[in-house]
Amino acid sequence: MTSERHSHSIGAPESAVRSVLGGALRERRRPIAAATVLFCGHQAGEALVPVLVGVVIDRAVATGDPGALVLWLTLLGLDFLVLSFCYRWGARRSWYADVTTDQALRLRVADRVLDPRGGAETGRLPGELTSVAVTDAKRVGVVAFALPLGIAALAAMAVAATVLLTSSLVLGVLVLVGTPLLLAAVHYLGRPLERRSGPEQEAAARASGVAADLVEGFRVLGGLRAQPAAVTRYVGASRAALAATLGATRAQALYQGAVLAANGLFLALVALVGGRLAASGVISVGELVAAVGLAQFLVTPLQILGWVNGRLAQGRASARRIGEVLSAPFAVGTSDVNERHSRAPGASESAARSEGQSAERSKGELSVREALDGVDLDLEAGAHVGVVCADPADAAAIVRALARESATPAVVTLDGTDVTTLDPTESRRRVLVAAHDAVLFSGTVAETVGAAAVGDVGPALAAAHADQVAEVLPDGLHSAVSEQGRSLSGGQRQRLALARALAADPPVLVLHDPTTAVDAVTEARIAAGVAALRAGRTTLVVATRPALLAATDRVVHVVGGRVAATGTHAALLDDPSYRGALG
Amino acid sequence: MNRELLPVASGDRIRVVLAGLLRERRGVVLGGLVALLASAGASMAVAPLLGLVVDVVVQRRGPDAVTAPVVGLVAAALAQGALAVVGGMLVARAGEGLLADLRERFVARALSLPLARVEEAGAGDLTSRVTSDLSLVGDAVREAVPNVARGGLVIVATLVGLAALDGRFLLAALVALPVQALTARWYLRRSTPLYAEQRRVGGAQQQQLLDTVGGIGTVRSLVLHDEHRRRVSSRAADVVALALRVVRLQTGFFGRLNLAEFLGIAAVLATGTWLVSIDAASVGTASAAALYFIALFTPINETLFLLDTVQSAGASLARVVGVADLGPAPERPVGEDGSVAVRGVRHSYVAGHEVLSDVDLDIPAGARVALVGASGAGKTTLAGLVAGVHVPTAGAVAAGRVGLVTQEVHVFAGPLADDLRLAAPSASDDDLAAAVEAVGASTWVAALPDGIDTVVGAGGHALTGAQAQQLALARLLLADPPVAVLDEATAEAGSSGARALDEAAERVLVGRTGIVVAHRLVQAATADRIVVMDAGRIVESGTHDELLAAGGRYATLWSTQQG
Repeated sequence: MTSERHSHSIGAPESAVRSVLGGALRERRRPIAAATVLFCGHQAGEALVPVLVGVVIDRAVATGDPGALVLWLTLLGLDFLVLSFCYRWGARRSWYADVTTDQALRLRVADRVLDPRGGAETGRLPGELTSVAVTDAKRVGVVAFALPLGIAALAAMAVAATVLLTSSLVLGVLVLVGTPLLLAAVHYLGRPLERRSGPEQEAAARASGVAADLVEGFRVLGGLRAQPAAVTRYVGASRAALAATLGATRAQALYQGAVLAANGLFLALVALVGGRLAASGVISVGELVAAVGLAQFLVTPLQILGWVNGRLAQGRASARRIGEVLSAPFAVGTSDVNERHSRAPGASESAARSEGQSAERSKGELSVREALDGVDLDLEAGAHVGVVCADPADAAAIVRALARESATPAVVTLDGTDVTTLDPTESRRRVLVAAHDAVLFSGTVAETVGAAAVGDVGPALAAAHADQVAEVLPDGLHSAVSEQGRSLSGGQRQRLALARALAADPPVLVLHDPTTAVDAVTEARIAAGVAALRAGRTTLVVATRPALLAATDRVVHVVGGRVAATGTHAALLDDPSYRGALG
Repeated sequence: MNRELLPVASGDRIRVVLAGLLRERRGVVLGGLVALLASAGASMAVAPLLGLVVDVVVQRRGPDAVTAPVVGLVAAALAQGALAVVGGMLVARAGEGLLADLRERFVARALSLPLARVEEAGAGDLTSRVTSDLSLVGDAVREAVPNVARGGLVIVATLVGLAALDGRFLLAALVALPVQALTARWYLRRSTPLYAEQRRVGGAQQQQLLDTVGGIGTVRSLVLHDEHRRRVSSRAADVVALALRVVRLQTGFFGRLNLAEFLGIAAVLATGTWLVSIDAASVGTASAAALYFIALFTPINETLFLLDTVQSAGASLARVVGVADLGPAPERPVGEDGSVAVRGVRHSYVAGHEVLSDVDLDIPAGARVALVGASGAGKTTLAGLVAGVHVPTAGAVAAGRVGLVTQEVHVFAGPLADDLRLAAPSASDDDLAAAVEAVGASTWVAALPDGIDTVVGAGGHALTGAQAQQLALARLLLADPPVAVLDEATAEAGSSGARALDEAAERVLVGRTGIVVAHRLVQAATADRIVVMDAGRIVESGTHDELLAAGGRYATLWSTQQG
């Protein structure tokens, strides 16, 4: 997988399109080929229906021959059987190709996003990236469905053309030239509609967006008795949407009327020419009926071709976006310093395995050179150290240096080993950074806390006072945490996130502002609990809350990007600038 | 989980509501239907006119005799088109107007529901009604209903046309009817639950992707890649399996309709052969009957296929009307001044599980009270009762107009100024600027791309948690209630913006009665009175100095927080 990803050189969208779209279609070539053959059979069967009806009229209705009636109705029945069978299995095969392509691409995008080396999300909002994985994958999938349909539509046109041209050259040419011209005219008529449908959809989307947004802010509105103002605002959006939609529906009605009239006029033309030919004895009555039927029939495959063409264009654009995500550069290498070594096939996996064993044995001796320009940190194994920064940006920078999410100037050494020589997964297993904005994933409370756990989660739950969170929830530890923990209060979320990090029991744990939404009473208990649980394990607490800092061995006070003082929390309290930095 | 979902309207009630909405625009609806029917009638002329062409040929009347029926075809085409334009416009106008009335009525009711009722149902219930149900009803009114109406009218007109040719052609065509009716029933029974399941599973996969992508930093730091890969891929198999079940259902549906088509056309052709042989009909009439029936294939398939959309929309409509029919929240009588009186209040969210017991609290107008205590002590419940968000199980709360700001912040999508004006619709630009200034937000607001007119919230400029909380305080200032309740209103900021927010909260409370649920004791220390709560009761009450001197819980807490 790794070498394949590297072969998509960055910023080569054309090759990305080819590899994503072409690769996806090649992988499903069997169902696509089967569906193509079956859809061709279906279209041919549909084309034959009016032809066979014409034959029945010629040979049975006009002559009153019951034997001919039975014979030709049987053949018509067989035709229905074939077209129905072909449609059934063609649709099943092409849908299979469609949904499996869609899902395979979705998983490839998810795999790239989940690569420990990161980088896929750089410069993309979560919604955008999700839409690449969902909408764009779906659009490429639809190509697998559209392709057999398009080929079959071409085949149907060929069948219709053959039938028409063999009965009458003039009528055949008229229908074959006239139908595309008719559709071109219809397309031309529809263009103002396309232009209108954009703003209409926007206005409608805005109205429904406003409603959803107001409902989401339900409590805020209730707290300020602002519901009447909110309703007034919604009615405004709704009326604007109505005005825009009415404009578009007028255009839509005009278009539909024009299509009906154009179809009818073309039919009249075919009837005129065909009728005159038949009246002059050039063609038979049955051939006239068939020609009229085929003129109507041809509209469908031509519309299908137009639709397929649109899907192909969309599919190409979507394949390009998927290709861009798949070939996004990694944020951190398997080894930031020695790229070549780790690129060797299988190297990172075997390295991870051997290092995985040593993670257990890691002493947790941490040293950070230039966490900031003038800040070096040294934590002996088992140290419990606090960092207080006057400027929150400094605190964030120190945490970033340890998280190894992106290349930073800091040099982080663990047990004497530069962490950038480790696989990113391995270095994060050893140095776990519990970010202030860590996200809770859906699952029960027990699953959430146990996500990265080593052994029993009980002690971690207790230390973070997350057991109390579980107690007040309806199903205790089995209560569902949904929508990224939005069903919980900020304090409850923080305690679960803290318990989750503690349960992972890493050699080095970095906690960034872990208790800002927790009340003072609970915070004091958590500070003591964390200190007790982490005894003998290295812990760095980047925070400003006194209770947390009081529980550390020593605190590093950073002012203006430099270490101003180091000492116990109690000793530093004498310094007014230190007290001022506390929250 | 025993959730008391919001109500769903009965079928009778939906009919009453729809009838009322239709009656309001009776003229437009009737005009539209008549025009569509006339358009369908004009299209009925096509087949007999083609039949006339056939007769001209069969009777050898010469090429020029073709002209007359062709002129008829031209007239039919033009009439059909023109009437469809008029009918389409009128039906769309009625449908869109009806939809707008319905959604406005729904949103107005939804926003004035009591919070307790919404919470009881789960936030997702109301959200799904406002998003997916409203849009399903909208799609049906926009796409399905006009097409079903048009298709139905074409079918009726065609059958009438067949009967006009000869009643026996109509009887022959009806051979297809039992098969079509059974197919529709077979399909509708299966489609609605299957499509609902498909939407649910598809939505779950999308939610999982959003969860994973949005929390990718957390996934990396905790090394949860394998678990998340498993979560995403396990749903993929479900999505594929369901899609294949859907296609099997749809191909089964169309396969059965193919059978109906064959039975019908065979019966019509056999009838034609018989009628021609007994000289009851011409070959042209028989051809017209066959063409009529072929022309029915598409409208019948489309109409029956759309019945499913209409049926699902019916279920959504029941959920929309259910909320639109609810009464507004009972309003608590609002006191004259800013004093607050809480008398003998008990409260439980779940029967038998009391979270507040015997709480009495009197706050004179203009005083500031801080609520302190561990999580679960009942601070937020007490704050909510004072704010009128909940009605106490027992006892009484009397207060003036109360404004509440909690740690739950929401930035309303749209220009920042519009967000602020939700609290005070008539506020001038100067009022807004003053409120922004007072909460210390003027610097970052000025730095936004379009200043106070910058589009913020979902889809717009993203604000930080601290900025959103400043915004919440500015709204409170603009709403200008005599009593303000701040429930951990400055908690979300983290250490970065906490101090600025504390100062903003101070300014917002000037000149009001204030109740502040505080996490950090420095916020509490300056209050006129500190109320310490534990297990649903008030256990200590007094000024900072009094409580320190008393040496109780507060004093202990204070000493730990000061290190």
